[in-house]
Amino acid sequence: MGRPMHAPRTECLLNLIDQEYAIRDYQSDIPPRWCTGCGDNGILTAVQRLCRDEQLPPEKTVFVSGIGCSSRLPHYMNAYGFHGLHGRAFPVAEGIKMRRPDLHVFVTTGDGDCCSIGAAHWIHAIRYNMNMTVLMHDNQIYGLTKKQASPTSPRGLKSNTTPRGTYLDPLNPLTVTLGVPNVSFVAQAADWIPEVLYDIISQAYRHKGFSFVRVLQRCPEFMPHRFDAWVQDPSLTRLVVHQKGLTLSADTSRTYRNQEIHDPGDIDRAREIASLTEEVPVGILYRNPEVPCYEDLREGERPNTPGLIRTVLDEEFDKFTIWPDDAPDRAPAE
Amino acid sequence: MDGISLELTSPRLLELDPEDAGEKAKMQAQRPALFAGYRDLRRLRYDYPLVLVETDGGSARVQSLTGVVDDLIRRIVPPGPQGKAFRWQLLHMEETVRGLVADGAGGRLSQLWRKAEAQLLEANGKDARDDLVRNLDLARETLETDGEVIDCDDKTPARFLVHAWNTIHASKAKAFRKRVDGLILKLSDILKADFVKSNKARSPEILKSAVGDTFNTDFDFAAMSRVLVEGSHSDMLSAERRQRIEAVLMVLQSQRFYGPGRASGSWVEEVEPYSFIFDNCAAAMDAFRDRLPQMVDFIEALSIAELEIENKYRPDLHDPFFQRFDESELTAEDLALFPSYLVCLRDGESDAAETVRALEAIASGFPVKVLIQTDDIVGDSSPEPPRTSFGGGSARLAAMALGANHAYVFQTASASLFRLQERVLKGLMYDGPALFSIYSGVTRTVSGVPPYLLAAAATESRAFPSFTYDPAAGPDWASRFDIRDNPQPEAAWPVHTLSYEDAELQRISHTGAITHVDFVVCDSRYERHWVPTSRSKWLDTMVPADELLSNGGNCAEPVPYVWTVDADGCLRRTVVDDRLIEGARRCAETWRTLQELGGINNSHARRQLDAARESWEQEREREREALGAGAAAPQPADVLAVAAQPKPKSEPEPEPAVAEEDARSPDEPYIETARCTTCNECTQINNKMFVYNDNKQAYIADPDAGSYRQMVEAAESCQVSIIHPGKPRNPDEPNLAELIERAEPFN
Repeated sequence: MGRPMHAPRTECLLNLIDQEYAIRDYQSDIPPRWCTGCGDNGILTAVQRLCRDEQLPPEKTVFVSGIGCSSRLPHYMNAYGFHGLHGRAFPVAEGIKMRRPDLHVFVTTGDGDCCSIGAAHWIHAIRYNMNMTVLMHDNQIYGLTKKQASPTSPRGLKSNTTPRGTYLDPLNPLTVTLGVPNVSFVAQAADWIPEVLYDIISQAYRHKGFSFVRVLQRCPEFMPHRFDAWVQDPSLTRLVVHQKGLTLSADTSRTYRNQEIHDPGDIDRAREIASLTEEVPVGILYRNPEVPCYEDLREGERPNTPGLIRTVLDEEFDKFTIWPDDAPDRAPAE
Repeated sequence: MDGISLELTSPRLLELDPEDAGEKAKMQAQRPALFAGYRDLRRLRYDYPLVLVETDGGSARVQSLTGVVDDLIRRIVPPGPQGKAFRWQLLHMEETVRGLVADGAGGRLSQLWRKAEAQLLEANGKDARDDLVRNLDLARETLETDGEVIDCDDKTPARFLVHAWNTIHASKAKAFRKRVDGLILKLSDILKADFVKSNKARSPEILKSAVGDTFNTDFDFAAMSRVLVEGSHSDMLSAERRQRIEAVLMVLQSQRFYGPGRASGSWVEEVEPYSFIFDNCAAAMDAFRDRLPQMVDFIEALSIAELEIENKYRPDLHDPFFQRFDESELTAEDLALFPSYLVCLRDGESDAAETVRALEAIASGFPVKVLIQTDDIVGDSSPEPPRTSFGGGSARLAAMALGANHAYVFQTASASLFRLQERVLKGLMYDGPALFSIYSGVTRTVSGVPPYLLAAAATESRAFPSFTYDPAAGPDWASRFDIRDNPQPEAAWPVHTLSYEDAELQRISHTGAITHVDFVVCDSRYERHWVPTSRSKWLDTMVPADELLSNGGNCAEPVPYVWTVDADGCLRRTVVDDRLIEGARRCAETWRTLQELGGINNSHARRQLDAARESWEQEREREREALGAGAAAPQPADVLAVAAQPKPKSEPEPEPAVAEEDARSPDEPYIETARCTTCNECTQINNKMFVYNDNKQAYIADPDAGSYRQMVEAAESCQVSIIHPGKPRNPDEPNLAELIERAEPFN
């Protein structure tokens, strides 16, 4: 069949009664318990704005998280949520997407949750390229447990687990993601540039595939001045712009003059930009809408109804069954 | 042209008539000279026989035997000289299968292939045997295509159509089951989730069975049940909603339009799916009417199911809507969900009233696909009036294509069916009614010409032209109507080159057109209208029929003829009378109408073009006169110079943000709201002064709702330094000097 089968009447009826969602409709009863001044608040706001602007029905939206400050976000959203095991946000989200491809799936994870204990799941989630929006809140510290070094902590950072300072260079989540086959969307945002943060999350949401957004996030409590240089000096932030990627308002463009025009289809340049150390790149580094999604590759001809499962299992068992002489007639299955 | 009349030509026909009876018989078994090369179709590689492949949704639903063998050769035969023997063996296999089918053997390709193998092994000596056996084994193992094999005969159009319909039906069924099974699954999930919340699901028995045998002695299920029941919520489905979902499930599971496929478990058992193939229109329409209430129920259930799954069913809004839901609510898209009704009619065999009924059904938009198979195009020879249909056989259906604006119409001869199978599939997939008019090539009064060849000749001679009218292709005739499937569609008659050997064994070639006359001389019913003549009787006034048809011939009393060959392959000029020429004229007229509809030599377009050309010429003439009078017309160089002038630059756009900032008084406190990160610092200091907007970003709602100290503290604690405190508004506030100093870096 060339054309998908629609029931326009139903859609019409649905549209008639569609309610208009405001930001408060996405705010749960629990007020955010992040510290005052925390960058996570800005990410929550951007996500709530996105939900409102896309008018995502709360009952069709799921936020999945692991463990950490970032992973508290599902509690503050009035939508479905799954606060999972440490590092295991991705497998849960993949299961949801596989069984319920009609849901909008968001994953919120942190630098510890994603890049340390959950690294294996992260790598394979990129490769599976299932359609979900991933927000990796990167404050470069374990904040919920009060300051332990994470894989993205800067070298030499003194923390509860590294009293003499960390010994290793930090892991770069951007270059890692860009190095995995089937990568389809990689972007970096900063919580202190809300307009760009919103724009990137919104483009990540619209990208069909595994959209990985690393959000640089300030932790005023345990990493108080970590990002001060970038917050105070816009020239240290390189905004990666392109007509097919991030575009800036006149205001932002005037503040952030350090800009590079970069085609998000160019993965080689994306890897170079991701490797910058002096400057922080912000924008859409890579996007490839052609990469197939795992849920589409594995989509069956028909849903796995209990009836189908029973029929298929029976057929398999029948192959090994020794039938008595008075066995019922076994008609071959269609 | 006026010179041709029955009175003038008939005596001449008599005069030319051969006297020898044997000679005469030989001459009667004649056929058009261009057919001479196709004497034995068994030895030729062509479209037929066809393999009706049973695939589910693939593109190659019907394949030709030749295509299958070519594919096999490409896949397993080594290229170049070392594959030569193998290649020949496979081509022999093809020839043998073709021969078997021509002899009337039917069945699947795999069966015929085995029969052909046996024949081939038998025909080969022992020496070549080992090699042959090995090659045939390999070929058989590689041969993946299988299905019924059909030759070009009187059953071909119906079998082809039914096969295509089944293919479409299978893919439609698949999409349908996927959608409906998905709905059933989701609705069942709602009921299941509800059951899990019920007290019954928390009864000791159910809990025990959920835990399984291994540990069921470790728990006190009664106690567990008590605890769970006490702590449970009571947000169960309302009885009304549960009933509605159950009713919808029942309708979805018991529909009879498509069978359950593999997942028989999710459907109510013992429902026999409906049949949709009929041999008369009345039965098809009755069936449609009988099933209409079920269709309405089903679509209603489908709509409710989708609403329920989205949790958007509002009884106050939707109950009245679904209460008055009836067949008038069914849309074309709804109807497209159900299988279409296929009716196979055969002109001449089916009741004549059936054809009329079919046309009515098509005109009424009923989702029916009608095959009208024609076995005889020219009709019986009767000198009495009415004889207008002679030569205009296709006119009726072409006219209908004009009339039923929304129906898909496809006409062709069975020789082109394979090549045009996509058109058949498109017609079957089309949402509305469709008519397939197919000439089978099996005219009983034609002997010695195989159906495939006759069918091809019908298309070639414009006696049965191919055309497609596809209402889904676009809004206008240019996109809907297509006659490009005909040979040389631009020409009145297709032109071919005839080569032969004369009495001195010299090669002679000449070109000529195939006309309706060539087609008719195959038919024995018309034999009194022609007479074949051998070379000794050729006259100077003889003119080829196509020449006569196009320009009337050059002599006063032209004697029209067509080239034919007799049973021995000898070339004859067959002189024809004006009845046949008249018929050919009528046929040409019909073809010209089709050409016009298809955009070739369209008379309206030509008239417009002529008018435009004339006015353009006049314009040019006037210009020339003006130039002659000495008036300076703009030279090309001037025009270029104008074009090269730079366009006036548009004014640089003002930057409104700057203007806004400039307009703001530096004494006023403000927040760069767009840069706010919602970190709650300021709102915690004073949530009357600092308020979030619709985007959850802070602005100063009321600068007088708090002290200047709070304003300055907020500016200091703002993580992104976007709060500008301005000047104090209350001059009596204590410690103002210190605060103004602290505010300085933020203003």
